[in-house]
Amino acid sequence: MFTQLWDLLVAFARASNLGFGGGPAVIPLIKIEVVERYHWLTNAEFTDALAVGNALPGPIATKLAGYVGYQEAGWLGALVANIGVILPTVLAVILLAGFLMKYSNSPVLKGMLKGVRPVVVVLIAQTAFDMGKGSFPNLTTWGIALATVVSLYWLKLHPALIIVISMAFGLLVFR
Amino acid sequence: MFKKLWNLFIAFTRASNLGFGGGPALIPLVKAEAVDRYQWMDNEEFADSLAICNALPGPIATKMAAYIGYKIAGWLGAFIAIVGTVAPTVIVVVLLGSLIAKYSNSPELKAMLQAVRPVVVVLVAETAYDMGKKSFPTGSSWGIAVATVALLYLANIHPAFIIVASMLFGWVVYGRNKK
Repeated sequence: MFTQLWDLLVAFARASNLGFGGGPAVIPLIKIEVVERYHWLTNAEFTDALAVGNALPGPIATKLAGYVGYQEAGWLGALVANIGVILPTVLAVILLAGFLMKYSNSPVLKGMLKGVRPVVVVLIAQTAFDMGKGSFPNLTTWGIALATVVSLYWLKLHPALIIVISMAFGLLVFR
Repeated sequence: MFKKLWNLFIAFTRASNLGFGGGPALIPLVKAEAVDRYQWMDNEEFADSLAICNALPGPIATKMAAYIGYKIAGWLGAFIAIVGTVAPTVIVVVLLGSLIAKYSNSPELKAMLQAVRPVVVVLVAETAYDMGKKSFPTGSSWGIAVATVALLYLANIHPAFIIVASMLFGWVVYGRNKK
């Protein structure tokens, strides 16, 4: 039990502290820890966790930490995983605020953030690709993907609404 | 003091529970609370705090909550603002997750999940596309992207190393250009 909690803490702290660009940039790193390193969830289960997380409001990294932490070690696991995600960067922001204020406009820091951004984009694209591998077992699922693109870009539907509609559709068609 | 903490809790709970799309989607809502509603800071201070938070890794919403909460009411304020941001949605996601685990063999749930997975793939791809639009201002950023793909797929290098390496590269190449 203790090892499990420690693993949760380390996994989520590591993912959070390497993700530059807010919660969405942390998603690929959480996937690497949860699916590939510790095998807490399969690829498909991780996609489901992300579906539930995206259907709800609020930051995404903490929702994933709660979801995975709870499945592994109950409410305590959810708490510990969230501490891993939140605590280190929060301490840094409070303790280093004066220092960061001085350097947040420095060309060096801006250059570093500019250098890392394409990497973040590739990591997120890779996450979509990996999740896509198991998510299209038949033609109808491709139709759903196409309908999602149309709803997002032309109809401007809210992503949470698209998630709920697709689940209702699945209940009617795939059962 | 108690009123201040209560306001922090309410402000961050409201911002968090109205914003879909992860932390970055919450920023305008946090601004509406901190600057417009409670006037804890002005526009410029808010922009500064956002710059500070963006310089660090990790989720953005919790860093903003900590920074603003600490400014208003010390460590307790930071704690309360984070709880407001995180607790409500984490509790709901855990409850939904345990339902999914419990009914994972039901055909109804399987049907719903099969239909939602393509949606999630598109949403994540869209996140990459949106971030990509802002992230490729120069040819060398495309070079970084191509190098990342090569290192990930051909060399099987852990992303941590690629992240650190790209930041060092950015320091050397972009950091000195404009002083």
